[in-house]
Amino acid sequence: MKKAAVLAILALMTLAVVGAETINVLLWDDPYPKALQQMLPEFEKATGITVNIEMLQPPQVYTKTAVAVGKDSSDYDLVAMDEGNIPIFSSLMTPFSEWPTGKVYPKVDVKSVTPAMLDVGMWEGRLVGLPINGNLYVWMTRKDLIENPQYQKDFKAKYGYALGVPKTYQAMLDMGTFFNDRGIAAGFGPFNGGPAGVLGEAIFMWEGYGTSFIDFKNGKYKVVLDKKKATEGMEFYKKLMKISPKGAETMAHVERQAAFAADPKGVFSMFIWPAQIAAYEDPDKSLVAGKIIYSAPPAGPAKTAAVRGTWALGIPVASKQKQAAAEFAYWWASKDIAERLVEANTVPARTDALTDPRFAASKPWLAAIAESMKYATSRPRLKEIPQIQDVVKKYWIMGITGQMPCASAVDAIVNETNAILAKAGY
Amino acid sequence: MAAPLLFLAPSLVVVFAVLVFPIVFSLVVSGFKWPLSVGAGERAFVGLGNYVDLSRNPEFWNSIKLQLGFIFIAIPIELILGYAAALLLNREFLGARVVRTLLLLPVFFLPIISGMTWRFMLQPRYGPLNALLLTLGAPEITWLSDPTFAYLAVVVQDVWRMWPFMFMLLYAGLTSIPDELIEATVVDGAGFWRRQRSLILPLLTPTILTALLLRIIDALRVFSEVYVMTEGGPGSATLLFSLFANRVAFGYGEVGLASAMAIFLLVLSIVFAATLVRKNMSLDILEEKAGGR
Repeated sequence: MKKAAVLAILALMTLAVVGAETINVLLWDDPYPKALQQMLPEFEKATGITVNIEMLQPPQVYTKTAVAVGKDSSDYDLVAMDEGNIPIFSSLMTPFSEWPTGKVYPKVDVKSVTPAMLDVGMWEGRLVGLPINGNLYVWMTRKDLIENPQYQKDFKAKYGYALGVPKTYQAMLDMGTFFNDRGIAAGFGPFNGGPAGVLGEAIFMWEGYGTSFIDFKNGKYKVVLDKKKATEGMEFYKKLMKISPKGAETMAHVERQAAFAADPKGVFSMFIWPAQIAAYEDPDKSLVAGKIIYSAPPAGPAKTAAVRGTWALGIPVASKQKQAAAEFAYWWASKDIAERLVEANTVPARTDALTDPRFAASKPWLAAIAESMKYATSRPRLKEIPQIQDVVKKYWIMGITGQMPCASAVDAIVNETNAILAKAGY
Repeated sequence: MAAPLLFLAPSLVVVFAVLVFPIVFSLVVSGFKWPLSVGAGERAFVGLGNYVDLSRNPEFWNSIKLQLGFIFIAIPIELILGYAAALLLNREFLGARVVRTLLLLPVFFLPIISGMTWRFMLQPRYGPLNALLLTLGAPEITWLSDPTFAYLAVVVQDVWRMWPFMFMLLYAGLTSIPDELIEATVVDGAGFWRRQRSLILPLLTPTILTALLLRIIDALRVFSEVYVMTEGGPGSATLLFSLFANRVAFGYGEVGLASAMAIFLLVLSIVFAATLVRKNMSLDILEEKAGGR
């Protein structure tokens, strides 16, 4: 009798395990998905779906997806794709039009996604990923510095115009130099970390000076960089490097955050990915929480460019749990969750959450994000981007640190990128 | 005839699966254009194409130059430090055991922790090394942002972590030299340097060569500590061979090309091992050396 009862319990447990749906999800590691993770029990309770989330640093997300997601098999049922990698993985993902309808949560209406972000999920005319965060360059300026009456007076006396949020590259340089030379704060916080980030900085300057990097025409990618304008952009960044903190040559996000938010002097102004705002506005981690003004990036001589770095969710063609994966994506992209993610100081991709008047006062960066979206600029999107951004990083750093003339660095970028494109058959 | 083979079979299977198969597989992959993701393109046989591509790639030759420089700068320094410490501590004094044990501590550091520690120590503004410079009135140095300093920092980190390994092996070698031999040379009037040249170094040669061989093979594969310190930068200043192979495989997604690099590294290791082992460590030569004395 006892034996039979034990066997029956074991059989029931086995049935429960086999019957329960479990999905494996691969995400990038930053405050946004972490905030979502806090809400996960609600989803699991509502749907009965167990979600195994694996969070990795962005380069490792690319590697893991490349290795673990194939045409016939996939270790993951849902993966986050950085927008630059979508060309590589698009053929392995289920087009959004074929995502199943939700049983608990309705299928996301793509019109709810901010138009500037929706483009991220598109490849070769199809929506292959659901853009999930509103990540693009937003500018941070130290409010306590620009509102100081003495600094305002001294700046006006020296430069002849008012101190404030920098609206142009030149104003950014003038104001940064003012604070840097007086030892009040470093003038600028560059990003010289990973290749994708450095490419973002290069694109920011080049677009600001009126030149694009790579164009796609007649089925071919072509380098269209205007060398003169590109060199001017690089020369200008070199000037910004001179008013940047020590070690700026290798500053990645950790060092930038330390310089801006943990150093008593801090940094006057620099760009931020909205996904990281939560850390800068956390009074336990930041000396400048509540002292930052957010705006669109300053304009270059030719235009304003807000470089985009958005993530999109993809369901691998080989996933055996497409229904459950879609359900999770719909829950994540729902209005209710998006609003709660905004409350957690993160930035979803839904227009209604970003423009909700309830958040206007308490989340001042939302208006800046909306403004930045008018100037959204993408980095080149092609399969060979890993090699190309490595080339850009190498010569960009050499140019802005004076290891080689900027004009030669631009030449090398153009020549080596052309060689990569030629080898790829373009 | 069949019985011995039957008994050997399990071992042969294990050896094949663990040692031979991965190498053969790498060799096969090195003959293909093999994207990391199937989404990036189809696999295609290219013969020796990957090797040809490598030979034309200046970054590849730069990584070899940096790797060999790393080996030929770091390892001799580690050898000299290890040998000097072994000589110094090859005697008994109060606390000798404690000192010898403490000296070994860096070897037990995980390479990745060692790299992180050095990265923090060398940070501008917050790093203790720069704090010391500033206290002394010297200008701050952005160690890991300067190509030359960054390369030196990587070498110094390795020396710091691995010289005790040399000390450990050489100390063990020294303790195995009979005291009578050393006393005899003292009685014969041989001074310190003569004793080293004519007795200790010849007797330690196999130990030194073993230590060198192990360190060279280890140094050829150095990765994690350099990765966390510099990620190969600034520019390509510290892009050692293994870092470049990692970038090719997991950054550019070119697994075939990276496999060709792995095979190249294997051949390079074999060349080093063969040179050291066959020419210096064969029994014939050792016996000859012993006879010559």
